[in-house]
Amino acid sequence: MKFSILFKKELKEMLSVTTIATMFLMVFVLIFAGKAMSKAVDDVKKDATTITICDQDETDFTKAMIKAIEDDKDTEVRKVDIDSEDYTGVLNSTDHKSIVIIPKGFTEQVMKHETATIKYAQRITSTATFSNANTGSQKALGVLQSGIKSTIYSQSQLDKDTVKQLEDPIKLEEYTVVSDKQDKVESAKLTSIISSQSMFIPIVMFLLIMYSSQMIMNAISTEKLDKTLETLLSSPVSRLSVITAKMLSAAIVAALQAAVYMFGMSRMMSGITGDISSDKNTEEVLKSLGLSMSVGDYILVGLQMFMTILIVLSISIILGALAKDAKSAQTLQLPIMLLAMVPYFVTMFIDVNSASPVIKYVTYAIPFTHAFVANQNVTFGHYDVYTFGLIYQFIVLCIFLFLALRIFMSDKIFTLTLGGGKKKSGGLFGKKKPSYDDE
Amino acid sequence: MEVVLDVKGLSKQYKKGVYASEDVTFQVRKGEIFALIGPNGAGKTTTIRMISTLLKATEGDAVVDGHSILTEPEKVRECITYLPDEAGAYKTMRGTEYLRFMAGIYAKKKEDIEEFVKRGSEISELGDRLNDKISNYSRGMQRRLLLARAIMSKPALAILDEPTSGLDIINALEIRRMIKKLSAEGMSFLLSSHNMLEIEYVSDRVGIISKGHLLEVGTSKELVEKYGVTNLEEVFEKVVTVH
Repeated sequence: MKFSILFKKELKEMLSVTTIATMFLMVFVLIFAGKAMSKAVDDVKKDATTITICDQDETDFTKAMIKAIEDDKDTEVRKVDIDSEDYTGVLNSTDHKSIVIIPKGFTEQVMKHETATIKYAQRITSTATFSNANTGSQKALGVLQSGIKSTIYSQSQLDKDTVKQLEDPIKLEEYTVVSDKQDKVESAKLTSIISSQSMFIPIVMFLLIMYSSQMIMNAISTEKLDKTLETLLSSPVSRLSVITAKMLSAAIVAALQAAVYMFGMSRMMSGITGDISSDKNTEEVLKSLGLSMSVGDYILVGLQMFMTILIVLSISIILGALAKDAKSAQTLQLPIMLLAMVPYFVTMFIDVNSASPVIKYVTYAIPFTHAFVANQNVTFGHYDVYTFGLIYQFIVLCIFLFLALRIFMSDKIFTLTLGGGKKKSGGLFGKKKPSYDDE
Repeated sequence: MEVVLDVKGLSKQYKKGVYASEDVTFQVRKGEIFALIGPNGAGKTTTIRMISTLLKATEGDAVVDGHSILTEPEKVRECITYLPDEAGAYKTMRGTEYLRFMAGIYAKKKEDIEEFVKRGSEISELGDRLNDKISNYSRGMQRRLLLARAIMSKPALAILDEPTSGLDIINALEIRRMIKKLSAEGMSFLLSSHNMLEIEYVSDRVGIISKGHLLEVGTSKELVEKYGVTNLEEVFEKVVTVH
């Protein structure tokens, strides 16, 4: 009964109205961001099918080429007239993002078998990725090149088959291999889908670490500084119940946060990737290569995330116990943040498993890393690395839990402080002189 | 007379040769109000914290209602309540909620909870303000709530560190009267205070502690007579300066 009373109190304090409102607000923001990006993706797609052409040469040849582009039902051709080499006027006064310019003398160059020049002007209005996505220039250049080739071939009186062969001398068939499975799919396309879908895991993990750490540190340091901890620990409840109630409620709230954030992030990511990867085969291909996660895989990833949260909580209990005041409690969160930032950045840019031994072992020595790479290890079948990580995390958890319990079960919970002032830090095993209050 | 607290040679050594409290011996009888007085850093809070099982004694022992703080700390915690100096309450809770939370911890059976809350509400005299968030309480209101919490479960021994600190004269007087009333009903109190006037008025016996040593124990009257002075304040001055 007493544990449930403590647990309810901790959970209620941690799962406040503000916390719940923040979670909902975060999901709303992420979904909104996803929708905004989805619109940007649509715009990029639309831009890719709209070509603005300025024909300064105006010969039968260029007109025929433009006609060929117009005949493509997926492409909308908009013609503009520009006399000079100043393209700013047209690009700034209209909604055209780019213009393909066929300069005077273009046909003559083609007929003389010289390399013909095409000009291309694009307007940049922002540094945002989607706003500068490639527009219809590539398509226009492709059609123009094809028109030139056809003209040359017809002049050379080549037969149809030779023309076809020259048009497409090589056909590339791409295969992607994952562990012992392979499928006929472009690896570039596949990696772009996987990385875009899994990029949110490090973000969620980082937020989760910081949030759970802050929660338990606040819970411990506030109780210590307000002396409610003295009241509680002198009451008929075991210290183990007090610490367990705190850790369990913090873990539950953190897990809830993770679930809500992951839902929000997945909604946001589907906004970005949904249209790009709307190919029906994508999911089948991911499945055939074993790159889609099963329920079991999600449980394994969740287990490692939970283990990481428990480690964060045990370290934070120790740090919270060291806090001298609210400000020092915030400062003491710095080691957690630094430890979380290393795997956050490293796993985002490199594959830890194939990194140099020094980087690999240093990164894996940080117990949080294993949660950052859990989905990669599970997806790519590195179950040995996963298992090693889980065992390592369990050992680290035991060590920090032991230290946290040692502090909490002894006088040190009241005597240990860090962060300047008159009080000095004491060793966890009593080797250094602890400070103490007395009157 | 029945002894509720028996402190025998209680010491706390933080470092070899450095004692926060050394060889402290005294007794608190049933229904008695015993006050520990001493200058800053004398060892009052350390002694109280050891009796409250928050700190472990390095030497000696204290027996509360027949239970040793060394061997049966859980049993001791069932017999005592402790109100630290400048203690706070959970600010996110409402007054009644806090009383119910603490009642749930002290109650041996479910039925006791409501009884404790009812008693606590009456003792606090906060009325409708008990439905307010504690964060909106004044310091005096918070202290009354905490005191009500410490008393509502009718412990064998209530340990109160500076019970009236931060309270105005009226509130302090009411609390002193309440302590006296409860002691008359059989509850024992171990107090710590700087306020000699308060101690002289409220306590049955006084222990003067300085530099970790308990130097004198007796009623205010006995001590005043022994040192040939007019009040406890002068006794305190003499005892502390001499030692």
